[in-house]
Amino acid sequence: MTVNGVRRGGSVEPRRTLADFLRDDLELTGTHVGCEHGVCGSCTVIVDGRTVRSCLMLAVQAAGREVTTIEGVASGGGLGPLQQALQDSHGFQCGFCTPGFVMQATAFLRTHPDAREPEVREALSGNICRCTGYQGIIDGVLLAVQRSQH
Amino acid sequence: MTQIAAQRYTGTSVKRSEDPRILTGSGRYIDDVKLPGMLHAAFVRSPLAHGRVLAVDVSAARALPGVVAVLTGADLDTMTVRGPDPMVTFIGLGGSGPDYSLLATDKVRFVGDPVAVVIAESRYLAEDGCELVEIDYADLPAVADAASALDPGSPPVFADLGSNIIVPRRRTELGDVPGAFAAADRIAEFHLDVHRHQNVPMEGRGIVVSPGAGSGQLTVHVATQGVHVARNGIAACLGLEPEQVRVLAGDIGGSFGLKMGASREELAVAAAARALGRPVKWIEDRSEHLTASGQAREESFDVRAAVSGDGDLLGLDVAMVIDTGAYPVAAGIVPATIQMMLPGPYTLPALGFESTAVTTNKASYISYRGPWASETFVRERVLDLLARDLGLDPLEIRLRNVAPRTSPPFMMVTGRPLIGVTTRESLELVARMADFPAFRRRQAAERARGRYLGIGVATFIEPAPGPRMPGAPSVMGTESMRLRLAGDGVLTLFTGQMPHGQGHQTTLAQIAADEFGVPFEQVRVVVGDSDLVPAAMTGGSRSATMAGGVTLHGARQLKAKVLDFAALLMEASAVDLHIAGGQVVVRGDPDSAVTVAEVARRAASGLFGAAADELEVEASFDGGESGWSGGSHCAIVEVGVETGIVRVERYMVAEDCGELINPAVVEGQIRGGVAQGIGAVLLERSAYDQDGNYQSGTFMDYLLPTACEIPRIEIEHLETVPLDPDVNFRGVGEGGMIVAPPTVVNAIEDALAPFGVRIYEQHLPPARILELIAAGGETG
Amino acid sequence: MKLPQFAYEAPATVAEAVDLLADYQDEANVLAGGQSLVPLLALRLARPAVLIDINGLDELAGVSVTDDRVVIGAMTREYMAEESATVSAAVPLLAAALPLIGHEAIRSRGTIGGSLAHADPAAELPAVARALEAEFVVRSRSGERVIPAADWFEGYLSTSRRPDEILVEVWFPVAGPDSGAAFQEVSRRHGDFAMVGLAVSLTLADGAISDARLAFSGIADVPVRAAEAEALLVGEEPSAELFAAAARRATAAIEPPADLHGSSEYRQKVAAVLVRRGLRAAADNVYERQ
Repeated sequence: MTVNGVRRGGSVEPRRTLADFLRDDLELTGTHVGCEHGVCGSCTVIVDGRTVRSCLMLAVQAAGREVTTIEGVASGGGLGPLQQALQDSHGFQCGFCTPGFVMQATAFLRTHPDAREPEVREALSGNICRCTGYQGIIDGVLLAVQRSQH
Repeated sequence: MTQIAAQRYTGTSVKRSEDPRILTGSGRYIDDVKLPGMLHAAFVRSPLAHGRVLAVDVSAARALPGVVAVLTGADLDTMTVRGPDPMVTFIGLGGSGPDYSLLATDKVRFVGDPVAVVIAESRYLAEDGCELVEIDYADLPAVADAASALDPGSPPVFADLGSNIIVPRRRTELGDVPGAFAAADRIAEFHLDVHRHQNVPMEGRGIVVSPGAGSGQLTVHVATQGVHVARNGIAACLGLEPEQVRVLAGDIGGSFGLKMGASREELAVAAAARALGRPVKWIEDRSEHLTASGQAREESFDVRAAVSGDGDLLGLDVAMVIDTGAYPVAAGIVPATIQMMLPGPYTLPALGFESTAVTTNKASYISYRGPWASETFVRERVLDLLARDLGLDPLEIRLRNVAPRTSPPFMMVTGRPLIGVTTRESLELVARMADFPAFRRRQAAERARGRYLGIGVATFIEPAPGPRMPGAPSVMGTESMRLRLAGDGVLTLFTGQMPHGQGHQTTLAQIAADEFGVPFEQVRVVVGDSDLVPAAMTGGSRSATMAGGVTLHGARQLKAKVLDFAALLMEASAVDLHIAGGQVVVRGDPDSAVTVAEVARRAASGLFGAAADELEVEASFDGGESGWSGGSHCAIVEVGVETGIVRVERYMVAEDCGELINPAVVEGQIRGGVAQGIGAVLLERSAYDQDGNYQSGTFMDYLLPTACEIPRIEIEHLETVPLDPDVNFRGVGEGGMIVAPPTVVNAIEDALAPFGVRIYEQHLPPARILELIAAGGETG
Repeated sequence: MKLPQFAYEAPATVAEAVDLLADYQDEANVLAGGQSLVPLLALRLARPAVLIDINGLDELAGVSVTDDRVVIGAMTREYMAEESATVSAAVPLLAAALPLIGHEAIRSRGTIGGSLAHADPAAELPAVARALEAEFVVRSRSGERVIPAADWFEGYLSTSRRPDEILVEVWFPVAGPDSGAAFQEVSRRHGDFAMVGLAVSLTLADGAISDARLAFSGIADVPVRAAEAEALLVGEEPSAELFAAAARRATAAIEPPADLHGSSEYRQKVAAVLVRRGLRAAADNVYERQ
């Protein structure tokens, strides 16, 4: 598979989830495991352009696919425009759910570059945050939309 | 303060220095710790609520390739020192503590009770091993609720207690309780229930224990709210001196009162790692977390209220029963705090209070954000129920009963002064935000069209940390901090605070940068190493005052020390020097500037003698005058009377937590707490059936609110009433969670007023809403 | 919550998959999108000896249309059907239901065939299939057979697919020009499985209802058609009174299951509300589509 633009491989048991493979085998620990049953969205990554729950996909199923994780969102180790907007809006607190939200919002904004608040809320409603009450996250995504239009 | 206002960081929403790492996946959480040779633990847990353990056969599990060890409760008993739960040691139980082993040996006491631990080469293999551990149980009748536990005939959860009452009924009367009820125009009686729900941080508990080679020294990585709490608990359990345990904590994925780092599972893992001589990791998965990490808030209240015909609350008489679950740790502190806080910001002159704590076959009652929150629910719910009976507006009954701000301050009947409390102001502000008269007009118009809107208001105070009592040494103990200026000009703060989302690495740096006179980026905040930081913890909303205060005073002390050296260096008098922008300057002579880095380097060179080589101070702070946080919240809801679905349309907050360090951080704390409170009312419940089987073990059963259920939360801050010459920051972590439940329930009852609905409970899922409407329609 | 051990097969063709199913029979689970099966594995509630992963069967993905039916390959992802112009034009009820399934990241992987073969009675697609009387094409070594929706759903998480059969495609009838559809549901949270859901399709002729299809989710162990209410509707002109009568008729005899999220009585009440709302919305949709 290609992960964040780099070809990666490994030999794993079929039962190993993509989330565990990314975290343990590839040591890309930015992808977080929050529930392991597909509800919380913390482990969201982008596979072939669409978001998936990496806890609900087997690592072997990602063979030949293009995977993007939180580590691959911005180049050069800095913050991309969405991440910057999320920081500027005080989007997050403990940070555990953060990578999942960034991945979901990244994919969503590609197809909805002029999204408004109700659509943003719906698009992020499959990701659970326990700290923030969501407002800073929503505001961060909306700020990224606004900046991209100027 | 010599700096001009525009340069101050304190009071502005400085961007969090934590964010670049968490936004790029570079945070380091407990599950990211990976050590050479590390093994993985998984627990075998009881499927029964209550049962006798007859036999444990681990032979098949031990034989599974990849399994390194299987330790039973009996094995761990020989490896550990039996004693009270570290949380009991930390906060006290308030009654006779039962005796029990670290993992279950003779009995299991709730679904999820750990019985054995399997240590294997991977978590997958450890879970495979767990399935091979064979345990024979004899089923015992479950004590599934408080009513059963109060029954003397119920089977004792702990044989050595003889009954299921952990703390027997205790009664206190404050003020003239009989007199208050004798003088009342009206006496109302209610039974109120608060339901069991839980913390549910997005990251569960977790620990990695690494035994040092031969030294007996343990290195423990753990998700905890205080590295010293974890260290002391682990050391005591393993029979080690605290110094033999080093506890490290990295980023922590939320906690809300849960994570102390020395729970039964964590202690078992520490013992296992020590016995095996290899690092062992345990990461609590979501199923374990929901089932076994602990739950909170299950209390019931019989309330009698004495009130005048005009709505003056003359007295309350409250009898409380708390269901502390199995392995009780909160039986003492929660009722005591509820009693202390029950009068709230009101003039309530008489309070009768009694409480009974019971143990049941459910997960342990642990601390959860605002552990005394039920008192606010009771009080604010009772006020609305009284107002409805008396035909008063909910705002009016509150304003009528709010204690005046006087000098000397009004004393709560429970003995604490209501100094600096701005409840009247926050009620009036939140009412303006909501525009009550306009809402009432809209409500009437919508009702005519078959839409049911309601408005609810509730108010709270939070001892964060609370007012200093005359003559008392402090309010919440003291807080220590080490501060050091290094040769690169970086000011480093070593704090025992253990942030898990609160942003201390930003907020404490703001205070230090302002007080010391360096740019924000030049301050580093070190947390999470028991060998480096002073003993403390994050919890009880103590950080803002205690850690904020010690930062301010510590930075001031270190600045004085730096200026003394700079005075020698610059051949000036220290009183003529100040620090701004990281430079020491002689007042009125900008060309004189020397960087603080230069001063530190010159000091370290020994230029000014041996005493000069460390620009470091150890500061401590007793909380100063401290004070209350508080505020008033208002919700507008729409109740779908056909489906029972409640939508929170608007949520407004008028908050006073003193001087704001970072408004965006404060608002984040409030919003997060409110979201948890809305969740508690509409979605979240730790449900057990009548046999003690747990029903909420997945995220499809335990429902957390999403971005579609939580509205925009509008916040306005009140002008503070300064009490202390220097430190007027107050905690704000718990208030949102404390007051949101009564705010939302009050709004729902208001929406359903045409149906004659009265609400005596906190959890209102859609099915319950329809039941209430049906019952209200029959009686109302 | 780690998956248990299993043998893993990833056939490249349907023929290979059919051979594997013939060999393993009910020792195997078929892994389609995995959005229901993988959680069951993580909770160790599903314990297959063999997992037959059919995600490599590209031949089973896609939407096509004939004169009177829309053919949806079993491995068509839910998002693909959601984005399909054919589906939105020809099977408006399916188009109405798809956005209600879970969340975006679930629909990225979840498949039409997977959901219908999993047959969760609380899910949206089984109710849609039942309302429209979709047909299920299954294949085994002995050939293909076509199973009508009325026979497909046998019980809780159980269908008439035999262990050696694979679901290859599902046929939905093309909606006529005078028909309208709506999917209504009540759930605790946005994106959750509904406590009760209702799929509605209405066809009008000369101002009167000529065909009515109502199928509930969440009120029994299979999706349930409301045949008596449908009969009551046909031949009548849409009105609030008619819809209220249909709601009473549709829910009078149902006995929904109770769970943590809602009692049986609650579901019954809400089912009636959904009938009224669903019929209104479907009738409005007729005019929108005209």
